[in-house]
Amino acid sequence: MYLSSFTFTVAVLPVLLLCYYLIPGKARRSFLLIAGLLLYGWGSPVRVLYLAACVMYDYGTGLLLEKWQEKRALSTCVLAFSAVMQAGAMAWIRGSVSGDLLFPFGIAIYTLQGLGYLIGIYRRRHTAEVNFARLALYLTLFPVLYAGPLLSFVEFREQLDEKPRSMEDLSEGLSLFLRGLAEKVVLADTFGYIFRELRQIAPEQLSMLTAWLTTIVFSLYLYFELFGYSEMARGLGRAFGFTLPKNFSHPFFTSSITTFMQSWNITLVLWFQTNFRYFLFGEHQSKWRKYSGLILMWTLIGSWYGLRPQFALWGLVIGLLLTAEQLLLGPTLKKRYVVGLFYTAIVLQFAWVLFFAESLSEAGTIWAAMLGFGERIADRNGLYFFTSYIAVILIGLYIATDLFRNISERIAETKFGRSIAIFRPAVNVLLLLLSLASMLYGERIQSLWLRL
Amino acid sequence: MKQNHLHRLTVIVTAAVYLAVLTATVIAFRPSEFPLPTLQTAFNGEWTGRVEAYLTEHIGFHDELFRVKSRADLLLGEKMIQGVYITDDMLLEKLVTDDTPDAAASAQPVNDFYAKTGMPTYLILVPSASEVYKSTLPANALNADQKNRIQAIYAETAAGVRCVDAYNVLSSRKDNYIYYRTDSHWTSYGCYCVYQTAIQKMGVSAVPYENYVISHLSTEYRGDLYARTLYSGVKADVLDRYRNEDGVQITHVTAYYGDGSIEDRGDALYDESAVETEDMYRYYLGKPCEKLVIQTNLDNGRKLLLYKDDFADCMIPFLAEHYSEICIIDLTRMRSAYLTAADPADYTQALFLCSMEAWDQIW
Repeated sequence: MYLSSFTFTVAVLPVLLLCYYLIPGKARRSFLLIAGLLLYGWGSPVRVLYLAACVMYDYGTGLLLEKWQEKRALSTCVLAFSAVMQAGAMAWIRGSVSGDLLFPFGIAIYTLQGLGYLIGIYRRRHTAEVNFARLALYLTLFPVLYAGPLLSFVEFREQLDEKPRSMEDLSEGLSLFLRGLAEKVVLADTFGYIFRELRQIAPEQLSMLTAWLTTIVFSLYLYFELFGYSEMARGLGRAFGFTLPKNFSHPFFTSSITTFMQSWNITLVLWFQTNFRYFLFGEHQSKWRKYSGLILMWTLIGSWYGLRPQFALWGLVIGLLLTAEQLLLGPTLKKRYVVGLFYTAIVLQFAWVLFFAESLSEAGTIWAAMLGFGERIADRNGLYFFTSYIAVILIGLYIATDLFRNISERIAETKFGRSIAIFRPAVNVLLLLLSLASMLYGERIQSLWLRL
Repeated sequence: MKQNHLHRLTVIVTAAVYLAVLTATVIAFRPSEFPLPTLQTAFNGEWTGRVEAYLTEHIGFHDELFRVKSRADLLLGEKMIQGVYITDDMLLEKLVTDDTPDAAASAQPVNDFYAKTGMPTYLILVPSASEVYKSTLPANALNADQKNRIQAIYAETAAGVRCVDAYNVLSSRKDNYIYYRTDSHWTSYGCYCVYQTAIQKMGVSAVPYENYVISHLSTEYRGDLYARTLYSGVKADVLDRYRNEDGVQITHVTAYYGDGSIEDRGDALYDESAVETEDMYRYYLGKPCEKLVIQTNLDNGRKLLLYKDDFADCMIPFLAEHYSEICIIDLTRMRSAYLTAADPADYTQALFLCSMEAWDQIW
């Protein structure tokens, strides 16, 4: 069940919260596990089978890895086998299962969490979990299954101890959930709709204006889709007694790709850094190993988003740009902030094309249009979309920047900010009503381009 | 205010709004429309999809929330709601351009019919209001070019098929009330204008406009485009009935349904009860059916076989003035089975009358 559906938002969530806050402490974690599985299998219980198989596999392998802790060659083999098998199964399922019904959504999330758990045992960061239900709860924690944030097992285990129910958790959790819901259904779905309309135009007929609009709108869609779900997850996590890490930090309008990527899908990048890069390439690396590790890591991150070669190419390009920034461009970008802003914005817009183009040749056609080699500079399509949606695009861009974050934070710290905090309940109501209103349009776009 | 109190207030206020929405949803609960699961639908995702669709349709404060969203969108520069352009005077449906078959394929059903029967065959494709009132659409609005599409299809019809240029007739009278402002259909007047030209082509003179007594069935008609947008910034419509006091009388109406059932409607062509419902346009021909046979007191041996969509509904009273029998086949229901729905040998003329939009959807 999608978190942004009426069924969840209106009917299920209030019941879940009510039950969670009414039942006694010890039963609450079991309740979360059962509720999570029911929601996951909602409408298509077959999905649960694969998830359950993964949990059982990770549980058994975790215990084995711990038992063979001293037999490094054997445990390395087990880990390598698990990594190849789980990543292979994930890739195969994402590529071959068509339709929403059978697709075990969240597979890209729980495969990484499961692998991270096994690597953690192998690297002795934590011990294997002997309580099956606890591990099952970690791997099936329903809020994070849609788009993260990824939670490490250490972070999860620290939070498992009994915590008193608090009004603060519920209030903060609800507020965060409603903010995320609005980001998903008000903003992401609007941009998703505009993007879908823009994609009706054949790439070879794109004008320069339309090509730029397409990629800008896509980047906003992608950001608010992932950010919205992540914030909803954090909100639900908080309401159910877990603190989940931040996944995005207003990445738009940064002055380098490095800064952008530090604020984009933070927990995913951190997972790859902790479990892949340093694991394979070590802490103290030569320059060559450091940068080749970085490029390979980003190519894999790209491939995680999707199976088409364009995704891997996107990752490769980002990896190369990050390397170039660290080796050459860094000081220049620091000194020339405005140049950095333009460079980052333009390069990223070109890179996002790889995310949505059906093929490399289509990406080439769109790039040509963006550079002005297309049909025209502006056409009727472009002008119509521009005049209809420029206000929404500007609002979206503003919210996606750290300018917005900084202003919000600064206001919150002032006396004025503290006195207007009393309006927070009203903000919640407004977000809820706006979200419900947007959901009525039936334009909900459920991860059309990503099958996580 | 202390943080604790603020948290408590946040939870209470949010819960209260939730409760209000839930209560309104429960009050508006329609047991007949709520989907019940079967063993199969519960496991194949169908039921959960239907529950979501039910909630989307019947959530508490549905209309108010919908208006909030659409007004906010319009305020921010959006020019349409749910695929309907909002103009000062009219709601105009956006015509989709993609996936239309080529003109030759679109002319094929009429050509096939003519090749099979060889009887006098006529084709009228009616453009949508968005085509006729193209100039009033928002600047640079995207819309399919129906005028050229109709011409292209006409050019592909067999030599014996006679086509009526409804676009020219309607666009030359576009200052008149020829399309509803809040509905996707043409008005009885728009329909009469095309009937005048068409019936002349079919070999008889039209009943003069002066012969009709026009009565208003409703002056508060809000049609299908209103239902889609809930936008009340456009004036409500007037639904008219044209009555020729000295004209032909309908003697018998028989409806044939897809499930094999037959309904004898006596001599009632109009469905008076529809005026009290949201679907007022149904007044003209009553409950939709696959085939409807209308007999009149005219004994001139002229019988018409009419293949149509609901645009033709308000033309039936005009056509009935010239035929002893009209057999109406609903193409939107019969689709490719249209050739077997009636025996063309029993009829003297055949007319295909359809909106351009429906024609593209049918084939």
